[in-house]
Amino acid sequence: MRQEDIKVAARPDQRMGFLSGNEMAALAASQINFHVMGYYPITPSTEIAELLSEMQANGEHDIVLIPGDGEHGAAGICYGATTGGGRVFNATSANGLLYALEQLPVQSGTRFPMVLDLVTRSVSGPLDIRGDHSDLYFAIHTGWIVLLARDPQAVYDMNIMAVRIGEDPRVQLPVIVAYDGFFTSHQKRRVHYFAHQDTVQQFIGPVPERITALNPRQPVTIGPYMNDPDLINNKYQLHKAMEAAREVIAEVFAEYAELSGRHYPIVDLYRMEDAEAAVLLLNSAAETAKDVADRLREQGLKVGVISPNILRPFPAEEIRKACRNLKALLIGERGDSYGSGGGPLTHEVKAALKDDPENRTLVLTRIYGLGGKDFYPDDAEAFFKLALEAAETGRVKVRFDYHGVTPGDPNRVPPPGTPVISREEVTGLVSVTQDPETGQLKVKLPPPRQLMERPKRIAPGHGACPGCGIFPAINQFLAALEGDVVVLYQTGCAMVVTTGYPFTAHRITYIHNLFQNGAPTLSGLVEMFFERKRRGEIDVGEDITFVMITGDGGMDIGMGSAIGTALRNHKMIILEYDNEGYMNTGSQLSYSTPIGHRTSTSEVGPHGRGKLFHHKDTPMIMAATNIPYVFTGVEAFPQDLMRKAAKAQWYAKNEGLAYGKVLITCPLNWRSEERLGTAIVEAAVNSCFFPLYEIERGVTTITYNPEEKGKRIPVSEWLKLMGKTRHLLRPENKDLLEEFEREVERRWQRLKARHEHPLL
Amino acid sequence: MPVGVALPVTNEEGFFEIRLESIGGLGANVAGKILAEAGVLYSGLNGSNFASYGSEKKGTPVKSFVRFAAPEKEIRNATPVERPHVLGIFHEALVLSDKSVLSGLYSHSVVVINSRKDPETMREMLGIKVRRLGTVPALDIATETGSRTNMAMLGAITKACEFLSPEGVVEAIRDALGTRYPQMLQGNLEAFWRGYHGVKWHEVTVSEGEAEQPYVRPQPLFGYETATLGGTLVRPGTTWNKDMSASRQGQLPEFLRDKCIDCAQCDLVCPDYCFVWEMGQDKKGRPAMVLKGIDYQYCKGCLKCVEACPVDALVAIPEADGWAPEHRVQQRFSIIATVG
Repeated sequence: MRQEDIKVAARPDQRMGFLSGNEMAALAASQINFHVMGYYPITPSTEIAELLSEMQANGEHDIVLIPGDGEHGAAGICYGATTGGGRVFNATSANGLLYALEQLPVQSGTRFPMVLDLVTRSVSGPLDIRGDHSDLYFAIHTGWIVLLARDPQAVYDMNIMAVRIGEDPRVQLPVIVAYDGFFTSHQKRRVHYFAHQDTVQQFIGPVPERITALNPRQPVTIGPYMNDPDLINNKYQLHKAMEAAREVIAEVFAEYAELSGRHYPIVDLYRMEDAEAAVLLLNSAAETAKDVADRLREQGLKVGVISPNILRPFPAEEIRKACRNLKALLIGERGDSYGSGGGPLTHEVKAALKDDPENRTLVLTRIYGLGGKDFYPDDAEAFFKLALEAAETGRVKVRFDYHGVTPGDPNRVPPPGTPVISREEVTGLVSVTQDPETGQLKVKLPPPRQLMERPKRIAPGHGACPGCGIFPAINQFLAALEGDVVVLYQTGCAMVVTTGYPFTAHRITYIHNLFQNGAPTLSGLVEMFFERKRRGEIDVGEDITFVMITGDGGMDIGMGSAIGTALRNHKMIILEYDNEGYMNTGSQLSYSTPIGHRTSTSEVGPHGRGKLFHHKDTPMIMAATNIPYVFTGVEAFPQDLMRKAAKAQWYAKNEGLAYGKVLITCPLNWRSEERLGTAIVEAAVNSCFFPLYEIERGVTTITYNPEEKGKRIPVSEWLKLMGKTRHLLRPENKDLLEEFEREVERRWQRLKARHEHPLL
Repeated sequence: MPVGVALPVTNEEGFFEIRLESIGGLGANVAGKILAEAGVLYSGLNGSNFASYGSEKKGTPVKSFVRFAAPEKEIRNATPVERPHVLGIFHEALVLSDKSVLSGLYSHSVVVINSRKDPETMREMLGIKVRRLGTVPALDIATETGSRTNMAMLGAITKACEFLSPEGVVEAIRDALGTRYPQMLQGNLEAFWRGYHGVKWHEVTVSEGEAEQPYVRPQPLFGYETATLGGTLVRPGTTWNKDMSASRQGQLPEFLRDKCIDCAQCDLVCPDYCFVWEMGQDKKGRPAMVLKGIDYQYCKGCLKCVEACPVDALVAIPEADGWAPEHRVQQRFSIIATVG
C-alpha cells in the first residue's frame, strides 16, 4: 500500500500522496464532481482537463468535459452551464484568460458562481509559456473572488473551499483559484487529501437554491438590458458581496481547518511578530523567501514574509496590521503595471497603509521573475537586504526597479545567419499560365531533382520531434512558390520549434501572432503592402506572396477570424497543417480529430472510447466562403501538393484568398513509427479519409482517386498504423469503427458528386 | 508504512539533491518522478520533483530535479537543482558536447552516465574528479529488454542513492507504469535490475573542495541593452548553428552514392533538411543536381528517407561512435553575418 492513511481523532481519513498542483486541482475537481467543465487547453493549465479526461475514462467522476473552440467559447460554455444551476469548473492561463476576459464580468455581474483555476503564466508577446502573474493582474478587476494557492496542497484545499465561498448566498460570486504555473502546477510535493469523496461532498453540501434557467414553471430573464440609473446599483450589489465575502471566507477557512487540520489565515505571516524588514510576495516565491528568512533570523536579522492567501477581496486590514511596526517592506511583483511605478500589489498595499495614519513603513517595489525566471534563495536574500537597508537608514534609495535583468554584453556575438535568399534563386522554375479561352490554369513543375537548386526557405536545426510531418509539408509547399514570400505562423508546434529565442530557422520574413488572430493580422499586412505601393513608398515592382501557416488547432480557435478574412478575400494564402490535435500543448483533441481517436483529452479506458464527435471538414467550411481556391494535400503526393501550391500562389496574386489543408503525421502523439510518416498519410488518402482535391472558383476536382487507381484500402488499414487508433480495431469498438467508416464514405461520395457536377 | 531513512549528506538548506540531464523522449522526467516517489512514499523522506519545462519537443535537452529532505522538514524551495549530490546523464552526447551539464558538482557527488564506455575512459574524456563515476549501457539494456533508457538509468541511479531501497523504487515503478503499460512492466523491471547491478564504478579519493565544479547560471545571449526592441531577430536562419545529433536514438541512415538516382524523394520527406545537393552532371553529362550526402548535424534519425528511397540508396544502420561526424557532408551556408 503506497498511501499512508492518516487518522486523527474526530477527523475524516486522509491519504498521503506525492502530487503536483495540477494533479491536486484535478483530484479536488473529481471529488467535488462538478456538473460541467468547459475548457480550452493552454499551458500550463492543460493537465487539469487531461487528468480529468483520464479519470473519466476510468469512471472516477461524472463531470461533463466540454472542449471549447477557444477560451472565449469555453467561458461561454461555463456561463451557460452556471445559469442551469449546477456546479461548473474551468481552468486556464495567460492569454487564455485574456481571451476569455470579456466573459468574466458577465459571470460576476449576473451573479452565477463557478470555479476557475488560473494557473498563472506570462501574457504574450513575445510568447512565453512560463509562470508569472501578468495574467492574474488582469483578473483582479473582474468582480471575481480570487484565492491564492502557494503549493500543491493549497491548490487542493482552496479548490474545495472555493465552491463553498462562491455559492454562499451572502456572496454568490464566481471564484478564481490562482497558483503558479510550473512552480506549483508541475512540481510534485508530499500532500494529503481526503480518502473519501463523501468528506468533500459533505463539506460543500448541496448547491444552494438560486435562479435557474432550467425551470420553465418559473420563467426568468437573465441578463436584461440595463443602463443608468440601474447599473451602478448592480455594481454596488457586487461590491457588497465582495465585502461580505471577507466574513464568509474567514468562516469557511476556519471550518475547513477543523475538518482537515490545515489552517489558512487570510494573510500568511511568517516570522512577522517583531520583524523590522519584510518582503511581500505572492504564491511560490513567498515560500522560497521563508527559507531565507529562517537563515537571516539565525544571523539575528529581524525579517519576515507577508503573503496573502486571498487577493479579492483585498485583505487591506490584515496587511495594515502586519505592517503596524514594520520599518520597511519590499513588495516583489511578478508583473508590472507599466508606467505606474509598481504592479497592482504595490498600489493596493500602499493604499492600505495610507489609511493608517500611524503607519511609517517604507515601501520598495521590485519587479522580478517575469516570464518564469526562477526566484532563487539569493534573489530573496537580495530583497531582504534592500528592505533591511531601508529599515536601518530610514530612507529608500530606489523606490521602484526591476530585479534580475541582464544588460547584455555587446562583445558577445550572435550566431551567424544564413545568407539572404536572392530573388533569382527562387525564380523561374515553376510557371502557371491561364488558358485565355477556358480560364483554366496550367502548372508547369520541374522534376523534383531540379527543384533541389532552390534554397529552402527554412534553415535546418529547428527543434521539431524526429519524424515531424510539418516540415516536409511546409517545405514542399514553399518550394513551389516563386519569388519573395512573407510568412505568418500562428502559435503552434511549427512556430515554437523554429523561433526559440535567440534563434530562428526562418530565412524569409516571419511574423507570429496568437492563433485566434493570424489570418486578420496577415490581411492587415497585405493591405499595407498594396497601400504603400500605391503611395509610392514601396517600389511598384516589389511582389510578395503572403502565406499564413497554422495548425488545425489554430483553425479551431481562429476559425471565426479566418472565415472573416476569407470573406474579405484578401490576396493571401492560408496553409493549415493538420495533425489531428493540439500537439504543441501535448496532444489534446481538436475539432479535426476524428471520432474515436485517442488524445489526452479524449482518453480510452473502461468508460472512454476516444473522441466523441466527427472531425471538422475545414476545407468545405472555407469553400463555403466562396474564395477562389481551396485544396488538400499530403507529402506522400509531392507533385500534387506542389502543383496546388503553385495554383494557390496564382490565385493569391490574381483573385484573392487561397486555403489549403495538408494532413501531416505527428509520430509522438499518433503513437506511430517515425519512419512510417509518409506511408501513414498516404494510407489516409487511399482510405478516402483524406481525399486529395481542389475547389477552383467553386468547381470541385478530385486530383487523385484511389478507386480509379485500384489503391483504395479500408479505413482500418490506415488506423492500424497508429497507436492512437488501435483500440478501434478491437471487437468491442466495432460499432464505433463502423460509424467512422460510414462518415468517411458519406463525405467521399458527396465529394465524388461534387467532382461530377460543377454546380455542386 | 514507510520506514524513515537517513540522508547521507545534505546541503546547507538540508536537502539531498539529484539532477537528471537528458533528451526529451528518453524518459528522464518519469525516472525523476519514480525516484522521488520512492523516497517519499516508500522511504519516509520528504521530497519534491519537477522538470525543466519549456515547449521542448522530443529530442531536445531536458532536465529533471529531485530534492529529498528529512521527513519533518518542509520543502519550500521551487528552484532548479544547481549543485547535485547525484547527477544522472541519460545520453553521453549531452556531456561530450556540452560540459555545462556537469556544472555544480561537489567533490563527493556521484555521476552516472548512460554509456558503453568503461567509467575510467569516461572519466578521462570528461576530465572530472568527483568521488564516484559510473557508466551503464542503458540504451543496450533498453533494447534487449524491450524497455526504455530511463529504466536502466533509474537502476544505476538508485544504486548511487544508497539510502533508497531498490524494492521501494520497484514499487514506485509499479505505481507509475503498472496500470498504464502492464505489458511493459516485466521488461521495465528487468531493465531496472540490470541497471542496478550492472552499473560500473570508478572511484577516486578526493579531498573536500578539490574537485568542485562551481555552478554557472547560464546568461542570455542578448540583454536589455543589446536585444532588438520587441524581440525581433534580425539574422535569418540562425538555427543552422545548432547540433541536433543528440536527438538520434541509436540509428541513422547511411547514404550509398553508387545506388542513388538523384530522384530527391528523400529530400521531399525529410523533416530536418539534412540532404546536401550540388550542381553536377546527370548520366548524359547534362548539368543537374546531384545528391552529395547527409548532414548528420541535423539528422534526428527518423529514417523516413530510408522508407522513401526507391532504390535502397539509403539504409538504416546502428550508429557507432564517431561514425556520423566522419561521414557527414556539410550543408554549405556562407557564414557571412547578415544584417545586424
